[in-house]
Amino acid sequence: MKWSQFFNTSIGKKLLVGATGLFLCSFVIVHLTGNLSLLKDDGGEAFNIYAAFMSHNPFVQFLAWGLKIIIVLHAILALQLTFRNRAARPVKYAINPGNQTSSWFSRQMAIMGSILLIFILIHLKDFWYLMHYGDLQSVTYGGEEYKNLYSAVYMAFKELWLVVLYVIGMIGLSFHLVHGFKSAFQTFGLNHVKYNGLINFVGVWLFGILIPVGFAIIPVVIYFKSI
Amino acid sequence: MEHYTMNLTLKVWRQKNTDAQGKFETYPVSGISSEMSFLEMFDVLNERLINEGKEPIAFDHDCREGICGACSMHINGRAHGPWAGTTTCQLHMRAFKDGDTVTVEPWRAGSFPVVKDLTVDRGAFDRIIEAGGYVSVNTGNAQDANNILVPKDKADAAFAAAACIGCGACVAACKNSSAMLFVSAKVSQLALLPQGQPEKKSRALNMIAQMDKEGFGSCTNTGACEAECPKEISLTNIARLNREYIAAGLSYEK
Ligand code: HEM
Ligand code: SF4
Ligand code: FES
Repeated sequence: MKWSQFFNTSIGKKLLVGATGLFLCSFVIVHLTGNLSLLKDDGGEAFNIYAAFMSHNPFVQFLAWGLKIIIVLHAILALQLTFRNRAARPVKYAINPGNQTSSWFSRQMAIMGSILLIFILIHLKDFWYLMHYGDLQSVTYGGEEYKNLYSAVYMAFKELWLVVLYVIGMIGLSFHLVHGFKSAFQTFGLNHVKYNGLINFVGVWLFGILIPVGFAIIPVVIYFKSI
Repeated sequence: MEHYTMNLTLKVWRQKNTDAQGKFETYPVSGISSEMSFLEMFDVLNERLINEGKEPIAFDHDCREGICGACSMHINGRAHGPWAGTTTCQLHMRAFKDGDTVTVEPWRAGSFPVVKDLTVDRGAFDRIIEAGGYVSVNTGNAQDANNILVPKDKADAAFAAAACIGCGACVAACKNSSAMLFVSAKVSQLALLPQGQPEKKSRALNMIAQMDKEGFGSCTNTGACEAECPKEISLTNIARLNREYIAAGLSYEK
């Protein structure tokens, strides 16, 4: 069987969605650990040095471009499957079972994913574009010049609407991963009483609560510091 | 259980044939016994319709004892009605109370076209079985029983998967009209046993290819199939099907 055939069936595509999804899960952990330095009371030194490292290190740059391709691949495949799934039921039911037979989160994956996608685009434009191609002031730490992304972030989150938008984006992330994390394991055929409990726990508590809350806290705290 | 009688309002999907436009018709039914099965309640209504010179409601049924999988009805939003692990023929009217409105629809899936009223064509399942749901056997004399050793846990898991009656409730219940629970049961019952090994790889790949070709949706692991399956086929079978697919897809010679 050729690779092109292997990844062109319903299960093959789901395997790609699952693999890219889990890669994105590992990314959000790294991204959050770095971003939390925004809340350090050091005038931005730790964060700006971290941001400079992330945008200059060639290996990180490679990963960063890979990441963007993976997000696009994940979104395209997942939405393609979603539309195909919709089309598989041309006449809808008059009455649907709702939460009686499946969890609400599991049925909102495409909606939450789309909210996330919109959020990611806005977020990239706000900060990634600014860092790479925008005008930023510079600061000097230990004789070296750095772009002051930190102060740009603090400026941006003075706007309440942007803070609200980021919180909505993180609600999208939370709801997407409450089902998405454990779903990916099932897609890979990993389903066993021995570890299902752990996967579910990590999916709900780490990816559904801790990480989205950690991200959302950053704009909220910055906003309250500014008023 | 106390016996009681009830009056109900039935809203039933009527559709002349596959190409016709269908619609709901409302039928009041009275004096229904709580000890009747859901299908018997339909028999009562149909007898009345026949006596009134009207077209009776077409619905599939055969064994009426929960083993053939024919009695496909989507009742108040639930495949085979509100009881877990139950076919429509085994659903009793004590699941309802006097004055209830009960909406009955056919299975809704592009791959299960409506033949008439509540009857759908589940031929897509047969074609999936034809694609790989078999084992090769020797002709000639039957082998000694127990010649091939089967571990007990494997035998039990294969038996549980083999309980699938091909009713299509998993497709009907799934928001994606996915047939993964059915296919996973049919692949598992053979893949778990030594007798199923010769066609192990081609079976998984061919049955999945046919499943896609029939237009069923893909699995998003919502679990609605498992919740509605009258034979309580487990989602672990879908995980096994995914493993079979990965193993076969990465190593199949053709
Ligand atoms: C940080 C961003 C994201 C992460 C961490 C993530 C993670 C995941 C994971 C782990 C899965 C489960 C895969 C499986 O069941 O095999 C998944 C599925 C899915 N994702 Fe994402 N995703 C992200 C962004 C997106 C975006 C931007 C979209 C699209 C617009 C999207 C749409 C979907 C859909 C439709 C599914 C399949 C739903 C299902 O199988 O139930 N995701 N995602
Ligand atoms: S898996 Fe269950 S619901 Fe699906 S066809 Fe088999 S018995 Fe019916
Ligand atoms: S009529 Fe055979 S299972 Fe219901």
